[in-house]
Parts: sequence; C-alpha cells; structure tokens
Amino acid sequence: MLISFNWLKQYTGLPSSTTPEEIAEKLKLSTVEVEKVERQGKDLKSIVVGLVKKVVKHPDADKLKVCTVNDGAQDWQVVCGGSNVKEGMKVAFGRIGAKVRWHGEGELVVLAKAKIRGVESFGMICASTEIGLGDRFPLKEEKEILDLSEILDIGNWKLGYELAKVLGMDDVIFEIDNKSLSNRPDLWGHYGMAREVAALFKKALIAYPIKKTKKQDTRNKQIQNYKLQIDVEDKKLCPRYMAVAIDGIKIASSPDWLQKKLLAVGLRPINNIVDITNYIMLDLGQPMHAFDESKVLKSIKSVKSEITVRRAKDGEKFTTLDGIEYELKSENLVIANKEKAIALAGVIGGLESGIGNETTAIIYESANFDASSIRKTSTRLGLRTDSSARFEKSLDPNNCELAMRKAIELTLELCPGAKIASKIVDVKDFHLQQGPIELPLEFLHKKIGVEIDKKEAIKILANLGFEVKEKKGVLLVKIPTWRATKDISIAEDLIEEVARVYGYGNIPASLPKFPIVPPSKNELLALERTIKEILALEFGFSEVYNYSFVSPQLLERLGIDSAGLIELDNPVAEDRPFLRRSLWPGLLENAEMNLHRFDEVKMFEIGKVFNSEISGLRVSGNSDELLPGQPLYLGLVFAGKGVLTPFYELSNALAGVFERLGCAAEFKPATHELGKVIHRGRQAQILVSGEGIGAITEISPSFSERLGVDSRVAVAELDLDKLLSLVNDNIQYHKISQYPSVVRDIAFMVDKKIEHARIVFELKKIDRLIVGVELFDVYEGKNLPAGKKSLAYHITYRSDDRTLESAEVDAAHAKVGEVLKKKFEAEVRCVL
Amino acid sequence: MKNQLEKIKKDFFNAVTEVKDALQLEELEQRFFSRRSGELTQIMKNLKDLSGEARQEFGKLANEVKRELEEVFAKKKEEIKVSEMGDILEREKIDVTQPKLPGKERGHLHPNTLVQNDLEDLFTSMGFMALDGPELESEYYNFEALNIPADHPARDMQDTFYISAQGGSASGGKNSNSWVMRTHTSPMQARAMQKYGAPLRVVVPGRVFRNEATDARHEHTIQQLEGFVIDENINFSHLKGVLDVVAKHLYGDKIEIRLRPKFYPFVEPGVNGEVTCFLCAGKGCRVCKQSGWLEIFGAGMIHPNVLREGGIDIKKYQGFAFGFGLDRLVMLKYGIDEIRILKSGDLRFLRQF
Repeated sequence: MLISFNWLKQYTGLPSSTTPEEIAEKLKLSTVEVEKVERQGKDLKSIVVGLVKKVVKHPDADKLKVCTVNDGAQDWQVVCGGSNVKEGMKVAFGRIGAKVRWHGEGELVVLAKAKIRGVESFGMICASTEIGLGDRFPLKEEKEILDLSEILDIGNWKLGYELAKVLGMDDVIFEIDNKSLSNRPDLWGHYGMAREVAALFKKALIAYPIKKTKKQDTRNKQIQNYKLQIDVEDKKLCPRYMAVAIDGIKIASSPDWLQKKLLAVGLRPINNIVDITNYIMLDLGQPMHAFDESKVLKSIKSVKSEITVRRAKDGEKFTTLDGIEYELKSENLVIANKEKAIALAGVIGGLESGIGNETTAIIYESANFDASSIRKTSTRLGLRTDSSARFEKSLDPNNCELAMRKAIELTLELCPGAKIASKIVDVKDFHLQQGPIELPLEFLHKKIGVEIDKKEAIKILANLGFEVKEKKGVLLVKIPTWRATKDISIAEDLIEEVARVYGYGNIPASLPKFPIVPPSKNELLALERTIKEILALEFGFSEVYNYSFVSPQLLERLGIDSAGLIELDNPVAEDRPFLRRSLWPGLLENAEMNLHRFDEVKMFEIGKVFNSEISGLRVSGNSDELLPGQPLYLGLVFAGKGVLTPFYELSNALAGVFERLGCAAEFKPATHELGKVIHRGRQAQILVSGEGIGAITEISPSFSERLGVDSRVAVAELDLDKLLSLVNDNIQYHKISQYPSVVRDIAFMVDKKIEHARIVFELKKIDRLIVGVELFDVYEGKNLPAGKKSLAYHITYRSDDRTLESAEVDAAHAKVGEVLKKKFEAEVRCVL
Repeated sequence: MKNQLEKIKKDFFNAVTEVKDALQLEELEQRFFSRRSGELTQIMKNLKDLSGEARQEFGKLANEVKRELEEVFAKKKEEIKVSEMGDILEREKIDVTQPKLPGKERGHLHPNTLVQNDLEDLFTSMGFMALDGPELESEYYNFEALNIPADHPARDMQDTFYISAQGGSASGGKNSNSWVMRTHTSPMQARAMQKYGAPLRVVVPGRVFRNEATDARHEHTIQQLEGFVIDENINFSHLKGVLDVVAKHLYGDKIEIRLRPKFYPFVEPGVNGEVTCFLCAGKGCRVCKQSGWLEIFGAGMIHPNVLREGGIDIKKYQGFAFGFGLDRLVMLKYGIDEIRILKSGDLRFLRQF
C-alpha cells in the first residue's frame, strides 16, 4: 500500500520538521514494514519548462522535426518526433543528463547528446509517458508530446523551472508491505495510519474534518416519495449496508487536489464520482461503491428501488466492470437488483451498473462484509481488488457511516447540482466486543520483563484510541471499534501495544535462569549425525537433500508402482504430486545427473519417507486417528567408472557404519523381484541382530543403460528408526593374548553359488584354535571351469593358554581342507 | 715397539685426513682396527709377548693411543655420515606442493547439516532438548493448536500442501483432508507440551513445506530450526537475551539484534528479528538492501491459546518461541544466491563444503 506523506501530515499534527525518514523509521520499529520512502519527482531532475521557438522539418526524415527550444538559459537544437509539436508551445524539456523512458517502456535511460539521422540533438521534448506522468496526463494519440500550456495555468512559471515543482510534485510516498498490515484493518487508510503515527510521536490525532450534516430534510417530497429499499438476506455475511441515492450528478473530471492525491498513491483518476469513492477508501480505509441509479434500478422517477444483498445462485453469471465474466457459487455474496447481480459484494462492481459519462443519478454503497467470505470469493475467482484487500482484514462496521457522510459532503461539493434523493438507508446487525479488558500492571511487567511506568503505559494506549481507567493496579481498557474486529481481544494483545510503542529496543536483553539439568538426548538425531559423519568423513560419501515429493514420471521410468503412495492434493508443479516412500529414486536421479560430470558418484541422504501402511503419531491429543508412518531412512548410491561391483562399495561402507555402532549386521542374499530396475543377482537384505532393516542392490545393467549411465550403479536403503532399536553400542575389549598366533593360508575352488558367509561360518566351527578367517582373494574366469570360483583365506590359529606346536596347527589346518571338501565339494588348490 | 706405535699413530692421522667417503673410511677401519690384520690390533696382540713392568707400561701407552685413534675415527665416521646423509636429503627432495597420487576424494556434509549441527549444539549446551516431528502433520497440530483458525489466510491452498483423501489413513479413517505437509516446525510446540508438560526447553530442526512457485529466492521445501522455552518467569527480555546469544554465536560479538513487530497468530507479542549485517558491519550493502540489518528470525511470546492447547497452566507458566530459516542462514554464511541449489543434488555444489 502506498501512503502519502502530505496526506498523512494533514491529520498527525506533527511539527513540520518531522522528516518522512523519521516517520518511516518509527513505523518500521513499532508498526509495519516500510519498504520504500520515495520522493515524488525524483526522476524528473533536469526536466524543465521549455519554449519551442522554432520548428523545421528534419532534412532526412518525414516524421521528425528539428526544433529550437529555449530552457530559460539558452537555445538548444532538439530533434523531436512529436506529432503535436509547434512553435510557441511550452513543453517538458529534458536536458542532457535527464532520465527518460524511451517510448514509455523499459528502464530509465540518461539522455546524452545524440545525432539523429545526421542532425545533432541536445536533449528531448518529452511525452508524458516518457517521464512517468502517463497516468496524470494520458496520451490522446501515440506520438503526442506533453503540451504544458494546455494542461496548466503555466503563465506564472518561468522557462527553466523544474517540472516537478511546476506540477506540485512535492510529496513523499511510503511503500508499505501489505503483509505486515494483515492484522491491522485500521491502517488501510490515511486517517488510520495518521492515528498510528501520531501515537508513535506521542501526539494527539487531529479530528477528522467533516461538516456537521444538517438533519436530513425528510419532508422533502422527492425524498419522501423515493423508496430506496435494502434487503440484506444474510446479516452474518453483511453486518451493515448503508446506501443513499443522489440525483443531479454531472460526471466530470475531479479537481486537481483530488487527482493529485489519487495519483500520489498510484491510483488513476477516472471521474468525480469514482474518484470520490476511491478517495474515501484511501482516506478512511472504507471501500465504497457507486452505482448508476438509472441503469440498474428503476429510475428515480418511478419512485422505488430495491437492492438485495444475497448469496449468489450456483452457476449465476456476473460480468465485472472491466468486462470479464465469472461463474459464481452460493458462497459468493452479491448485491443484486430484481433481475440480477450488480456487484460482487466487497470485491468489484458490475459492468452495467458502472458510472459512465451520461450518469445523472447514483447510489452510494458504504457497507461492511464478512472478512473470510470476501477472502474466499476473491481467492477463488482470482479477483484481488483494493476493496477486497481491505474487507478481508475485518473492517470496523462503524466506519461505514463516517465514510458515507464524507462521500455525500464531497459529492455535493464537487457537483454543484447534486441533491440527496433518498433517505440514507442503514441496515445493520453487528456487535463488537470492546471489553473492557483487564490488564494488571503486574502482568504487564511480568510479561515484558521491565517495569514500564504506569502513566506512560496509559498514555500509549490512550494515544492509540483506547479508553483506559485504572483500578488498584489493574488497567481497565476499552477497545476502540477500529481495533475490536479481531485484532485486540486479550490482555496479551494490549501488552504488545504498550511494548511496541514503548520500543522493543528499549527493553533490555537478559538471560533466563535454569537449573543445570542436562537435556534428555535425542537418540535418533544422534544416530543420524553419527552415520552422516562416518559416511562422509570415513567413506567419502557426499550428503544430498532431495525433495520429499516425487513425480509419477520418475516412478514410471524406474518401474515403480505408484499405487498406495500418499498424494498431494495441490502439488506446486503437476509433475511431483506423490510423497516419497523411498529415498533411492531420488538418489538414482542424482547419480544420473552427476555421472555426466564426475567419474565417480558416492552420495547419501537421510530423510523421512511416507508410508500409509504403517502408523504414525496421533492427529490430535485425544484422537484415535493416526498419521501415516514417517520413518527416517538412510539411502546411498554408488557408481564409478571401472567399478564393476559397486555393491561391495556400499556393503563395505555400511559394514563400517555397523561396526562403529556396535551392531551385528549381515547381508543376506535376497531374491525379491523389486521391480525391473533391480539386478536380481546382486541384491541383499540387510539384517541387524537378525532383523531386516533394509536392502542393497545393484541396478540392472540394461536399465542403467537406458538411463544413459554407462557404469554400474548400486543403491541401498535402510530404516534408521528400526536400526536405532538395535544399536547396542557395547564394544567390549578382548584381552590381548600373550601367546603368538600362527597364520596359515588355504586356496580352493568351489561352485560359484557357495557364499563366503557360509564358508566363514563353517570354518569358524572347525576348531577352537581358529580365531580368524579372512578372505584375501577371489578369482573367477580364465583357467577355471565354468561356474567355479577360486577363494583364498588367511586362517589365524591361537591359543590363550599356550604357544601352539606346529603339529597342532598342521592338524587343525588339515581339518579345514577336509571340511571344505566335505561341505562344499571344494577342490583345495594350495595349502600354506 | 714404542716407535712402532708412534708410527702407527702417525700413519693413522695421515690416513684419516685422506678419507673422503664411507668406502675409504671402511678401508681405514680395516687397516688399523681389523680384528685379524689391523695394524693396531697386531701391536696390541704383541703385548702378550712382553712381561712385567714393560708390559704394564707399554700396555698403558698402547691403550691410550688406541682410545685416541678410536675417538678420531668415530669423529671422522660421524663427519662422513653427516656429509653423506646431507647428500641423500638433497637427492631425495620432493615437491611438497604436489598432491598425493592417486588422490582420495573426501566426503562432504550438506551445508544445511553443518549449520544445523552447529545450532543444535549451541542449544543443547544451553539445556534445550532436541526434538523431531512428523513432516506430514494434522491440520490440528499445524493450525488449530497454534491459534490459526479455519479461515486464516495461512490455510490457503496457495500456502499449504494438502494431502489427497486417496492417500488413505493409517488408522483406516477417511479423514485425510485434515492432513497437510507441515508449514512450519511449530506443530512440535503443542506436541512437546502435551508430552512433556512444563517447564520445557526445546529445539526442533526440520523440513517444512510452503506451496509456492520457486525461484532463486523461494523454495517450496525448506529447513527450519525452531526453539521454545516455557517456565514460570519467562518474559520478553529473556527472548531478547537468548536471541542475542544466538546472533553473537552465529556472527560474532559485535553483532546486535533488533526486534520489530510482526504478526504471527501463535505468539503475542510477535516480532521479527534482525541482526547487524555481518557482511557490511551494519553500514549497508547489497545483501542487506542498504539497511544494515538482516532479517533472520521470527519470534514472540507464546500465545496463551497455544499454551492452553498444550495443556499448560497459563496462570503459572509463560514462554517464548523463535524460528530460523536454516536455508537462509546457510545462504548468508556461504554467499549462496540461489536457494534451489541446496536441493539440486549437484556434486559441483556439494563438494564445496
């Protein structure tokens, strides 16, 4: 929202020495976000009043002229394309160095000396759109330059005067972030903002200027005869509706002061009546609407007009005043005559009932509408207007009356022939909770942590419009109506008022005192951190954060069935509507992307996944309904050029993790058909203490080829919630034996299907003297029969009570060979 | 014999000066000290042919000479060793600027993790318990329990991801419309209060979701870190004190904080917090948009309605809460100007941390 400094000053009673910057700073620290403080006409530097002394045709261009322009100091040769340029005209002359927008578009450019079709040009004769004045002086034709003699009484202004001064552009505009105003319905107009500013500067607000209305002369025959009948069908959605008919209207342009005010805050003047409604909205924060009485209602002559405030019928059509048709639903509130809707309540007027040049009688509406209904309507239809933006903040229904009175006053003032043609109808049904709220001073101090002087607290509240009485250390605070719609309702709200005006900067910082109880440890977070550190710092994996959402396209590409996945109702992009149940699809995407640039990709992610098949926490304290389970998963991916079995890279890293965690883990061959992407021959279930907590698998090579990845890829995934319950972190020291150990090797050939884990299991059972079995070589291929592999192990023998004799070791080692032959039909190739 | 000894001594000294390297030194050792044929050894052997006083006298002398020669020899040996080592050190000189080959690529933690760990540690050191909560939350905990009524704009579809009914609910209920992707970590306020009661000191790091179009500065999935304290005498001044500690921890002792009013339904008063821009020391720069301040957190005194929902006795207890956008802290810390890169999975990015 834009706020004009000059407009504000009318009401605040601040000394003239108060700068806009001071006001902005106070507002920022105590009230709202001021995003910009901009001086009007700051872009009009070096644009001055100039006189066109001579115009001749450009020798080389039909549409250009070569003009001589005097800027008070000297004559300049200027090439000009303006269609209306003529000798003796006073123009907006941009000197070299002035900033202009070429043809009214794009960024500002600094004028320099130029040669145009061979003729030198020292400056520019500007069109209104080229110097940001297009709204104030709209172009009548495309190539028209701004003719100052036509638009201003320019006689008093000498050549060379700054245009900004000539046009009275001496205002400063505050740009305020609308979001920061969302809980302050009272600040959506200059008067409300002035009240706030005055309070921040500890000044009393100037009373709103309005003439005492004469008691309405109901004896007037016309007024008596004219029945303006208002039916409000839903008083909850429309707590107040005021209307009045005014006759004798002559549509014209608004006076300069009004246009200037609207333009200053970015509104384009339209005509006197529309400008009045806009002015009231900007001044008092109360949106108003004017209907053309004759076009929509029975004419005044026919004596009766009926307006109904009702819910729209489902499917009812409505065309806005800018000509767009909408289909309404029963949740939308409309203003209607007997035939149809003439306005979408609180949002926008209808096309046919709008004010036009031929309008002679109007009906003003000053009403109040339910905030959430307005918000729903404007959101659903995508129609955000200055009016709906205000109504959806919960406006004060009391303000309708002041707004209506001011609108009538201005109308009578601006249209000399205007006459009030009806009674002022006022249909209302509302009640505001104005308290009083009890605010014990002790509570105030306890909450803020600093003693604010009682008188000061009372003064702060009073300046903001609260009525305060004190009773035995308790402030009884009555809420002004403009703060009572939703903003202020409890003592804490008042504490905020006092504290923010007192100044958050004036409240000292201090640290609370607590007993030195250590916080209870979050085991899962600790586990997560440990695993991250092991994987990144020991095994060289890089951590990634992927989105929790996954696209159906990716799932389809990976051959994953999306059935049963939890789905977003309103995804931000249509391509990612599911919640991930697994981390590896994302990791696979990461690998695919990075393999184009890196020879090796080792990544992991720890994050939540979503699974409707398992149960999560309760949806509320006393409900039996449970959220879907959201276990914390660890996912890994490995792919490297020339790494033929990336499976082992992952199993090695995971084994390292389990070892550090003190877990007994094993990788058990799995044969699940987990989808077409899985390499069936290279997948394992991860067991910790016998419980399955995850899986490792390679991606089928035909599939990775389709992904455009030419190296082998492995992924793994495990459930950290499950792992946590299995971690025992119980590493026990084994006394170092005083007796030497003896290491013997054995190499043998077995069927490829025989697993290492089975061999180790069997070998360890053979003899108590065997304390270690370590695989050190695996070979398949050339020189071996098909389907066979050769394995070589170091076997460590030791006793804890004596030095072993070599005969003992020989005997045990011989048994190793026999067991291998017997159990696995191994062919022992070499014993050492 | 005595003359013989003198001669050996003289020969030795002559020879020793000629020695230039280890080889010659060994020759010298052989010539004089060899057990079998060494000149000195020989003459010592002859001792046994003498008798009595002569033997004693000559023996003494011979031993003195032997000791003297050995000393000189040892010295010479040391000299040669030093000179030869010096040579080795020169020859074996390496290029210390060269990396080990083949190199080993280290792993990298995500920058968000680094910043989150740092803050988690700070808060646990101040006695805060770290909690984690569901990312898919009920509307009750995400909104109602936080004093955000049904028609509040925050509940708009533009701001919140809702879960489709088809998702099915774990308890078999069909009430899935009341599920959302949490829009903040604050649902854990009510959950923690209900579970642990007061007093309470909690910090909640976690992922949150906003339904908005993304660009360089906006992301629909971000990481937050939220903290809250509930105790008997907690006040606004304490909120300021704790935030001051955090700001100084993050950006140094000279950093100041500034609180400005900001409306959040679940706190009253509500503020947004700024810290002195650490890049320009408050002078004003591009990053702080010339203001000298960086907005980094939202905070406030917990609204009594929220405490009530959490089952806290509001006559006895009050509290404050605050939240940081971790993504923003990360971007400021490392000078990242594109928020989406945090979740791009691009190793060119991840390997920088």
